[in-house]
Amino acid sequence: MTLLSIDNLAVDFVRDGQVVSHALRGIDLSLDDGSALGVVGETGCGKTLTGLSTLRMLPPGARATGRVTFDGRDVLTLPEAELRNLRGKEISMVFQSPGTSFNPVFTIGSQLEQVARRHLGLRGAAKRDVVVETLRKVELPDPERTMRFYPHELSGGMLQRAMIAMAILCRPRLLIADEPTTALDVSIAEQILRLLRSLQQEYGFAVFFISHDLDLVGDFCDRIAVLYAGRVVETGTARELLERPRHPYTKALLEALPRHAQPGAMLPAVPGNVPTGLDDPVGCSFAERCPLAVADCTARRPLLAPIEERRSVACFRWEET
Amino acid sequence: MTAVTVATPSLAPSTGVRRVFRQLRRDPTGMLGATICTVFLVTAALAPLLAPNAAQGRGATDVGARELAPGWAHLFGTDHLGRDLLSRVLLGSRPALGSAAAVVALAVLIGVPIGLVAGFRGGLLGEALMRVTDLFLSFPPLLLAMVIAALLGPTLLHAAIALAISWWPWYARLTRSVTQSLRREPFIDAARVFGVREPVILIRHVLRNAATPILVQATIDGGTVILAIGSLSFLGLGAQPPTPDWGLMVADGRTTVLTEWWIATFPGLAIFVVALGLNLLGDALRDILDPRSGR
Repeated sequence: MTLLSIDNLAVDFVRDGQVVSHALRGIDLSLDDGSALGVVGETGCGKTLTGLSTLRMLPPGARATGRVTFDGRDVLTLPEAELRNLRGKEISMVFQSPGTSFNPVFTIGSQLEQVARRHLGLRGAAKRDVVVETLRKVELPDPERTMRFYPHELSGGMLQRAMIAMAILCRPRLLIADEPTTALDVSIAEQILRLLRSLQQEYGFAVFFISHDLDLVGDFCDRIAVLYAGRVVETGTARELLERPRHPYTKALLEALPRHAQPGAMLPAVPGNVPTGLDDPVGCSFAERCPLAVADCTARRPLLAPIEERRSVACFRWEET
Repeated sequence: MTAVTVATPSLAPSTGVRRVFRQLRRDPTGMLGATICTVFLVTAALAPLLAPNAAQGRGATDVGARELAPGWAHLFGTDHLGRDLLSRVLLGSRPALGSAAAVVALAVLIGVPIGLVAGFRGGLLGEALMRVTDLFLSFPPLLLAMVIAALLGPTLLHAAIALAISWWPWYARLTRSVTQSLRREPFIDAARVFGVREPVILIRHVLRNAATPILVQATIDGGTVILAIGSLSFLGLGAQPPTPDWGLMVADGRTTVLTEWWIATFPGLAIFVVALGLNLLGDALRDILDPRSGR
């Protein structure tokens, strides 16, 4: 069953009545109950903004159009009060930098308790028990003691565990993970991913996993969506997409992964630059960097179209990729 | 299942007030400041009991004992009207500390909410609030005090009101600048992501984080306000005789400072020491209250 569906979501940044950037130019995505969708793309392609739009957490000056439907409700038009009940309870989020995502003046325990009180209406010992139990779930040692620490007294890995505990405290149906391991070292990142996966299996929440690491996403997610310049260029199951990329951009990204590098040879890179937020090419945004581009590519824009079951590509020449 | 090893921090969880005291004890200048402040607070509380002659402290005269130099009978000597200066200085701690506390409290109560809203909301409302703040900031406090004294009569209360009016803009500015930097902190967004209402974010997350610089500033300002009140009283714009006011006493002894030096010196010393104490304490609190300063 579809839990989240994003239809033609566009976000513009407006300053003094003028559009200064088209950050998202029409995103189509859907996410099934209990599944994991990986959203990949380079910096500035709109991954995080898409995730935040799911919570209607738009930065100042952002104007969104389109539809974001979560469990039958349009998040973009939901009344403020209902939206607040959704946030942190049905949809929650794990951030990139655990160190700055906690309020420095409160203990970890009190911040989790605030969430338990806000969304679960718990008080006193019941509230405390839920927090302790959840901290235990994320495998933090000695939860009763850890609760009393301030954020700066914990390591990055521990904080990220605490962050995950806060996110799953209310048993959400959707967890947005915005590069949850980027700020951590490799071994800790591995542990955090394993933890997320086991929690997902236990509680059955869906994961919207934002990352720029294709390997990591391929490992964690059922499906992958590749974003480029504010649009989805390719979606498919993780295995399909990584083994047989159909969009030249996906292919170029995969070829640029260090594991494909020949010793001594330069790492392959995608030539050219990402179009700026104001560029609005008539044709494909990727055309000028694309090795397969033909005249048609710059004349009109390829739309995201299904090529197989549950597999879509926005490219005229996908068969040759 | 694979065992997960997570490093446990070696330090014990710290709890608020006790931590402040523990750290204060390791900071000699901070400790000195705290001691001075405590002594003055206790003095103000118990002044009538501590003063050798409370009635004279309040203004009763004894013309037979005028201008006696400090000695065993009168540790600080006596003034032009024969009043025991020690008693006067001790009782003087009440109007001094009281008015300073009132001025700072009033300035905080007006300035902090304005700065908080201006900094958090920003935009046109923020601009408007800060321009009003600038308007008040442009009043010279001394001139304002003179105008108020001229209009309503010179009393300690009016001097305090004048000071509060010209003092609150500093708190509005301080709070706004702290709020502006806090507004962009990821944990504020995180609070929103977890469904916290804006007013709660403003008070629990923003104000709570801004509280430390405000408290530090208020402590240091306490000393500055005592100096300012002293100056106003010295100029005759504040407390009036026979109030045991330090500034007034300094003014009283001013003309004879070369012959009867003690009359101006002891109240002046009281102002100096209490202002110093509040400054030292404020500086120490600044270091201690930052939860990130650790240990």
